[in-house]
Amino acid sequence: MSKELIRLVNCSMAFDGEQVLDHIDLYINDSEFLTLLGPSGCGKTTTLRIIGGFLTPLEGEVLFDGVRINDIPPHLRQVNTVFQRYALFPHLNVFENVAFGLRLGRKVEGQKKKERIPEEEIRERVMEMLEVVSLKGFENRRITELSGGQQQRVAIARALVNRPKVLLLDEPLGALDLRLRKDMQSELKRIQQQMEITFIYVTHDQEEALAMSDTIVVMDQGRIQQIGTPEDIYNEPKNAFVADFIGESNILDGVMHEDFVVEFFNRKFKCLDKGFAPMEPVDVVIRPEDVDIVPPESGQLRGTVTSVTFKGVHYDTIVDFKGFKWLIQTTDFHDVGETIGIVLNPDDIHIMHKSQYSGLFGDYSSYSEEYDEIGDVAKLDEEEGAQDE
Amino acid sequence: MKRQERLGSRLLIGLVFLFLYAPIVFLIVFSFNAGDSSAVWRGFSLHWYAELFQNRLIMESVYTTLLVSILATIISTIAGTFAAIGLYSLGRRKRDALLAVNNIPMMNADIVTGVSLCLFFVAFFQGWGGFAKWFNGVQSLVELPTRLHLGFTTMLLAHIAFNIPYVILNVAPKLRQMDRNLIDAAQDLGCTWMQAFWKVVVPEIKPGIVSGALIAFTMSIDDFVISYFTAGSSTSTLAMTIYGMTKRRITPEINAVSTLLFLSVLVLLLANNIREARLERRRELGAAPRRRPVPALLQNKWFHRGAAAVAACALAAVILFLHDATASRPVVNVCSWGEYIDTDLIDQFEEETGIRVNYQTVDSNETLYSLLKSGGADYDVIVPSDYMIALLIAEDMLEPLDYQKIPNFAKIGDRFKYLSYDPDNLYTVPYTWGTLGIIYNTAMVEKEIASWRDIYSDDYAGQVLLINNSRDALGEALLCLGYSVNTTDEGEIRAAYELLADATRRGVFQGKVMDEVFQTMEGGNAAIATYYAGDYLTMLENNEDLAFVIPEEGSNWFVDAMCVLKDAPHYEEAHQWIDFMASTEASLANMDFIWYASPNEEALAAYPAYYEELYEEPLDQELYEIMATPPEVLERCEVYEYLPPETRTLYNDLWIKLGI
Repeated sequence: MSKELIRLVNCSMAFDGEQVLDHIDLYINDSEFLTLLGPSGCGKTTTLRIIGGFLTPLEGEVLFDGVRINDIPPHLRQVNTVFQRYALFPHLNVFENVAFGLRLGRKVEGQKKKERIPEEEIRERVMEMLEVVSLKGFENRRITELSGGQQQRVAIARALVNRPKVLLLDEPLGALDLRLRKDMQSELKRIQQQMEITFIYVTHDQEEALAMSDTIVVMDQGRIQQIGTPEDIYNEPKNAFVADFIGESNILDGVMHEDFVVEFFNRKFKCLDKGFAPMEPVDVVIRPEDVDIVPPESGQLRGTVTSVTFKGVHYDTIVDFKGFKWLIQTTDFHDVGETIGIVLNPDDIHIMHKSQYSGLFGDYSSYSEEYDEIGDVAKLDEEEGAQDE
Repeated sequence: MKRQERLGSRLLIGLVFLFLYAPIVFLIVFSFNAGDSSAVWRGFSLHWYAELFQNRLIMESVYTTLLVSILATIISTIAGTFAAIGLYSLGRRKRDALLAVNNIPMMNADIVTGVSLCLFFVAFFQGWGGFAKWFNGVQSLVELPTRLHLGFTTMLLAHIAFNIPYVILNVAPKLRQMDRNLIDAAQDLGCTWMQAFWKVVVPEIKPGIVSGALIAFTMSIDDFVISYFTAGSSTSTLAMTIYGMTKRRITPEINAVSTLLFLSVLVLLLANNIREARLERRRELGAAPRRRPVPALLQNKWFHRGAAAVAACALAAVILFLHDATASRPVVNVCSWGEYIDTDLIDQFEEETGIRVNYQTVDSNETLYSLLKSGGADYDVIVPSDYMIALLIAEDMLEPLDYQKIPNFAKIGDRFKYLSYDPDNLYTVPYTWGTLGIIYNTAMVEKEIASWRDIYSDDYAGQVLLINNSRDALGEALLCLGYSVNTTDEGEIRAAYELLADATRRGVFQGKVMDEVFQTMEGGNAAIATYYAGDYLTMLENNEDLAFVIPEEGSNWFVDAMCVLKDAPHYEEAHQWIDFMASTEASLANMDFIWYASPNEEALAAYPAYYEELYEEPLDQELYEIMATPPEVLERCEVYEYLPPETRTLYNDLWIKLGI
């Protein structure tokens, strides 16, 4: 791809003795759409704030175009941020919000004082940017008169009008409703491609990450779990955490007998993975949509349907295999109590080394939709509490 | 039934409001009284407002009040805003704890704040005195003042101190409401920390800053108690001046100044409320897009800087001017009683000599004494009464005068010199003199009163006002019994007390009064009182039925004399002032104004002619003799002498025992 723009070398951060970032290494290319993905408290916002200059890492280096910028304050960095709750200036109207950065003048090489930007140019650039974010005609509105989506666009315009090399976005769609969020996703992608600048995007929403990113960085507990394209991350998760966080996964204990042969549920399956030690215990990932349901007599495994939920495109079917419950997504309806068989093709099976996350995820015994949603809300609340401090 | 209930509750509300506002309405109405009583209506007039603006005591204190309020508001608003920002950046627990600490001074009693600040300043001055002496001793480059006084600066510091919590209280919630990310966002867009503060934080918390400043200003203007304790003796705010005036006699001038004070505080409060209501409405409407177009000139950066510079220069000039007016010109600090001078004389003196007169008042000899004792006073000239002068001389608190510098002393009548309180006449130049006598309402008392006995008789039970001053009250009783007012014989004094106690038991006295005597007697609410001749003449203007008599047993006559305090900083100027006030011209004008007789014989002789020329009618000889008691009557009267401590204690004990 293109050239490298930002690099974090061995960065660590702690608040009140609590490790938030644990020796992170990361590079970001020019004009790349990179997403930092992970649950609350994983360190993604901290990483973003380090790049923005609002935090200085306790250890490690931040390089921009190969130059160390650890000690450069935010107002001197060629980086702009779209904040979580927009942080628009309520005392200014839309135009003045967008023009805010321009009115401060531009840096001239070799000079300490900033040069004033002529009013005409400011006007031109602001109007141009309002057009990019489809807010033409709103320039005299007050911020409080705008909807959430419109405020979001103002925040983006306010950041982009300064022509930063990198735009940082901190969960920018978190406060929008689902429909608006989907619209803004494609809008953001379009803007990024149109402006050809680097976006570093923070979210805990894996769908958003998969839909928009060139590169996804999955983080948990202050460490990077995996870096890759959306396809890599989805198809080849590095460990149980990634497998579970990105999409739905059934994760089973297995043993690698030799290259391309794995055993689980006391049965050997062919797979496409190699390079494991003989008889190494592994985690086996099977995506719910990859499982083919067949009549019980022709299946490799047999199980009983314990619950069915209609999801529109497919049914979420929970099947009990010898006490281990799988989630299977299928377009065919199988009623509760029905016995079914399944067939796994070698490319449906993905093998991972054992990790600290083994055994924590991938069992759908307690599966219920409500549970997941409650979990998300709780996480959001936690995050707000953390930010207040 | 329901209708009645509603009527009842309306009536109740009406009564509550009547209770709340009747006194203020009364005050405002009487500020327009043509006469000089606050009880008798003599028609509408703006006279007292005109008078007010010519009263230099009041105008000076308005000046002081405004200056201290404006300066304290500016400084405390800046300090409080930054303090609030500092608090905001702390953790929640620390912040809450500090905010609680911040609230305590606001709830603290003013008197405690005032006294503690006063004690603190005095303690600091003592420490400073030691330091300055040592510092001046070890080097000679800079000369530090060794004696510091309570004054404008200490009062300003006190005002700043009590205003800051109010500013913090108003700014802190605005900061808490502010999105923390705003500062990050501003910095992210290229602001330095300072730019972010001015461009984002200040506009966001501006409503809090403005209302904080308005409240601080109101509190400052409003304050009396804290100022009273920290202003020292030579600085006086409007509230303090009003207080001083009421001690003497409530004239409609006080009504007028109180009315104006009430209105200005009302306007401030209304402005603040309207502003807040408007902000609230705008917030509710989702912010109406009401943006006034700003002229290009006003947006220009250089215009802003120029305007700021001009404003700063103007403020500096005003402060310098005031400082100049107060400091660099020669000054004389005078302390006297309220309404005891024709203030035109002050202007005249200043014009003639170029010396600024800092004229302050206290309410009684005893207050003056305690002020002097506490070391809080820095007066040059004081005008105590005879017995107090004796005490001050005894305690070596007066400086001998240089009579060479007071040529007008020669015009003072011999009968006012070498009196018992200053037998060698080394310390004093008499200022006024007068007598104590019986004032009675001829509409209520049929016979002519001629003896002290009459004020203790059952004939007027419940109609007699006893003077609220142990020396005068017991003195009258002593005279009634044929003893001297200066007796130290315990038996005689106890006998006098018995006379009073007996009359009290019989319900003769309506109450003990000092200044209330004016309103009560003018309004015809009591038949008999004992008071000073000069004040009788004032009462007579409002009630023609009043008569004055010096009883046949004799009475007390008093002299108030000008003295200079030991170590007075302006000894020369003090002499110039004393000489000026003793002159015939000044004595005439003063006599005409305060209606107390002057000891200047030339002035005494010239007054009837002076009066006739001024008012184009002859002076009533009878009234003149009440003011300037003829020598044959004066012979019957005694001057109070300084009583030995044990006698004073006896007076005190008996006075407390008497009760009423």
